[in-house]
Amino acid sequence: MVDSGERRLTILSDLALEVFPGESVAILGQSGAGKSTLLGLLAGLDTPSGGRLELFGQSLAALDEDGRAALRAGRVGFVFQNFQLLPTLTALENVLLPLELSPQRDGEARAREWLERVGLGERLDHLPKQLSGGEQQRVAIARAFVTGAELVFADEPTGNLDPTTGARIIELLFRLNREAGTTLVLVTHDHALARRCQRALRLADGRLAPLALDEVEA
Amino acid sequence: MTRAAALPHQGAIQALRFSARGLWRDLRAADVRALFVALMLAVAASTMIGFFLDRLDRGLTRQAGQLLGGDLVLEQGQPFSPELRRTLEGAGLTLSDQVDLVSMASLGDAFQVTSLKVVDDVYPHYGQVLVDRGAGSEAQARGPAPGEAWLAPRLALLLEAELGDRVRIGEVELTVSGLVEREPDQSAGFGNFNPRLMMHLDDLAATGLVQPGSRVEYELLAAGPPDALNGLDSLLEALRRDGVEVRDVRRDRPGLGNALDRAERYLSLAGLAAVLLAGVAVAMATRRYVDRHLDTAALLRCFGATQRQLTRLFALQLLWLALVAAALGALLGLAGQALLLGLLSAFLPLTLPAPGPLPLLLGVLTAVAVLVGFAGPTLLRLKRVSALKVLRRELDPLPPSAWLVVIVASLVFGALLWLYSGDIGLASGLLLGGWVMLGLLWGLGRGLLALVLWLVGRLPAGQGGWGQALRLGGRQLARRRDASLGQMLAFAVTFFAMAMIALVRGDLLTTWQAQLPEAMPNYFAINIQPAERESFSEVLEARADDRTSLYPMVRGRLTAIDGTPAREAVPAEARGDNALRRELNLTWQETLPEGNRLVAGRWFSAEPVRGEPVPISLEDGFAERLGLGLGDTLTFTIGGREVSGRVASLRNLDWDSFRPNFFVIFPPGTLDRFGHSYITAFYLDPGEGETLRGLVRDFPGVSLLNIDAILAQVRELVAQVTRAVELVLALVLLAGVSVLYAALTASRPVRAHEGGLLRVFGAGTRTLSRVQGAEFAILGLASGLMGVLLAELATAGLYALWFDLPPRPHPLLWLSLPLGGALLIGAIGHFLSRGLRREAPMASLGLLGET
Repeated sequence: MVDSGERRLTILSDLALEVFPGESVAILGQSGAGKSTLLGLLAGLDTPSGGRLELFGQSLAALDEDGRAALRAGRVGFVFQNFQLLPTLTALENVLLPLELSPQRDGEARAREWLERVGLGERLDHLPKQLSGGEQQRVAIARAFVTGAELVFADEPTGNLDPTTGARIIELLFRLNREAGTTLVLVTHDHALARRCQRALRLADGRLAPLALDEVEA
Repeated sequence: MTRAAALPHQGAIQALRFSARGLWRDLRAADVRALFVALMLAVAASTMIGFFLDRLDRGLTRQAGQLLGGDLVLEQGQPFSPELRRTLEGAGLTLSDQVDLVSMASLGDAFQVTSLKVVDDVYPHYGQVLVDRGAGSEAQARGPAPGEAWLAPRLALLLEAELGDRVRIGEVELTVSGLVEREPDQSAGFGNFNPRLMMHLDDLAATGLVQPGSRVEYELLAAGPPDALNGLDSLLEALRRDGVEVRDVRRDRPGLGNALDRAERYLSLAGLAAVLLAGVAVAMATRRYVDRHLDTAALLRCFGATQRQLTRLFALQLLWLALVAAALGALLGLAGQALLLGLLSAFLPLTLPAPGPLPLLLGVLTAVAVLVGFAGPTLLRLKRVSALKVLRRELDPLPPSAWLVVIVASLVFGALLWLYSGDIGLASGLLLGGWVMLGLLWGLGRGLLALVLWLVGRLPAGQGGWGQALRLGGRQLARRRDASLGQMLAFAVTFFAMAMIALVRGDLLTTWQAQLPEAMPNYFAINIQPAERESFSEVLEARADDRTSLYPMVRGRLTAIDGTPAREAVPAEARGDNALRRELNLTWQETLPEGNRLVAGRWFSAEPVRGEPVPISLEDGFAERLGLGLGDTLTFTIGGREVSGRVASLRNLDWDSFRPNFFVIFPPGTLDRFGHSYITAFYLDPGEGETLRGLVRDFPGVSLLNIDAILAQVRELVAQVTRAVELVLALVLLAGVSVLYAALTASRPVRAHEGGLLRVFGAGTRTLSRVQGAEFAILGLASGLMGVLLAELATAGLYALWFDLPPRPHPLLWLSLPLGGALLIGAIGHFLSRGLRREAPMASLGLLGET
């Protein structure tokens, strides 16, 4: 529920979802259906006004904002529609950022390795503004996986990309997901993307309904 | 799970490394560079001035020790006791004995009254004697050896003595082995007109001059480490009560003279102005820094950073920045103070002690304080950022209230003021005044913005041209009312600080120059006998510029105050005062002498009435020292007879005036019956050598003292202090420009956004450039107006309270500051937004993160 001051707006209600380790789940919905709100709740970025939420088996209601942050640290990765790269950091530094919260000896080597895996081994020192949209999203993907995250949330990862580039990004995302054995929760209105997931759900009128994969329109 | 658990315990070193790395990357951003430059300038200015004043202060203390002859000088009419010697030595002081007496010296059939200075092997504690021993002047860190005498050149002339001659003092003969050109501990004064003869203590007993009842002054000179005197205060107090004259380097420092004293105040003020400016720059740059880091903070929240980690990260990052800026600033400060000293070199013949660590510590403290005070409240916003902002951009935490920022910053600045001035009254007064002025400015700023909006609404509507630019620019300014007000305040404070430092400089220089006119008296004539008075005056009136009249002078001793012996009547700490131990120069005058100012009582109007107490006038400092006030009756002993007077007025006089000055002035008709001579000061052109020779020939008894050298030194001092003041002014102006730069950098994204929108709506580069130019110019004009108002109010207050100068309005400033402000802001703004105008609208809109 969102309290807009004058009236209350119920965005999500009567909603049950369980995601298992190693699974890939797509949540489809129209623009404004509350997909991002749901993602924020699932990742513990936001708190629901009611209901029960668990992440890695731990109840999020019992945790304060800092507790939820600590739960995410090193275990949850994010890929955003608008990439969310820091403009003053190079590609390498952007990937290093989550590692620096829980520093490890080989942090930089791992960041380089992940940038090579997304095909940007030659662009380590480039700033975001020197990279194309697709390249920026690849940096963001490397950043999501570099901590060895168990769970990756992706919010419209192809939303800002042209179809060709978007297809390549999807390819990359799922390849890395497979290789790393990560759980993937995708929020999108891109059906091609949803079809790549093991499970798809539709979010409409604040409710989630399972969607058979063959129901997803081509 | 292990990594998550490790987070709260993340090692301190790793946190340090992470934050340092973050800062390193951040240096690419303009706001961080602006922050860095501002902090560095604050530290550079405060350490430069701190180092300089600290060294000057310690150097002057040392020079004072040299002038006194030691850190502590005791003087009395009998030898000092062994117990006292042991106590002083026990405190870590080295002792030196000196005996002063007046006696006759003779060579052949020439006799001359001389003032003997009898010194031991330790003499002098500080400095060197400049003596000619036959091979020109040489500096010697000793006095004459036993059996030898060193003569003042004047004595040698009067006795017609040459090196190697034997001069008789009492019952011994000493060999003249040197001519003393300068004694390190010579304090110039007109009290002692007898020429000097310096001899060794070992020869004193043999002279037979020290007999019961003979007038001999014994001096015990002590020197030691700076804190050696600190434990002796009660002892010194007791000695003073016993009538011992105590000269203490901590108290009896020679005055710097008004010029350097005011320059010191100016430097402190300028240092504070630079710190204030840097603080404003820091506050402006921090806003942009925080805006820019909201995304970083949100992302880090997403990646699992706790609030504590975020706080620590940004605090550490800025601490690094402050430390590096402080280190660089301190280096700049060190270089700057060396430059200041270089500028003042000829005035400061003393070698100053090396820079101490205190100003450095103060510099770092200043940097951290400025950062915490001016950036702290704004930075807290980063901590409050929500992780959800990565999904919903509009979720920015609210900026802190402008008033909170102002209050915290001004409290910290007030604390710095207190720290630097050591005067809590001054600090809190300035702080309160500052708040009142800010409140006034806030109202004034709102009024000005409303006026701008009203004015641009009345501009003739037209397509293109400056009219349109002014209208658009003015509207943009007025629309962003709060941001514009903030900028106007920041610029106004900046212009105010710059203008004030410049104004005070100008007024100081004018005052100094007025004090030193071209034809200052450069000769003193003393010992003019009453019979010579008329003819001496005639010569002066014809050939020289006689600026002061001839003052009669009678020598008398102050023996009683209100009927009580003087030594008992004065406060305990004044019992050893010179004025009670020596004869004073008394004069009589009908009118208040030039350069004197009555501060209490009334000037005597006519000759005293018989039977009534004689009214006298005292110099206020003299009266204060001896605890005297209006109505006190002073009794003087002159040549065995007594004369009394009642204090009728107190005068303040300028000791820098190079004119004869007197502690005590009688009305005419009281002192005339005593033996007296006349003293005067006059200006003689260097080309008037013949007049000078005539004076020497026709008035052989008159002593002529040439003070051209001293005057030249004072002029050089003023020239040098002027240069030092100008260097500091340049630094303050630089700090001011750094504020403008930081502020305009901070507002760049908003302007870029507006420019981008105008572009989208079809504005060309030319229009855009004009609109932005108009906006900056209006901003500069309004801030300049507010700045000039502040500067006038503040300088008037400062002159009255701190610089002892009469307040004066500066009408030209009312024109130059607003116009200059418009030009300066316009130029910097134009320069900074040059790149923006070339950007495609997509890019400039993107600056705000709109994709």
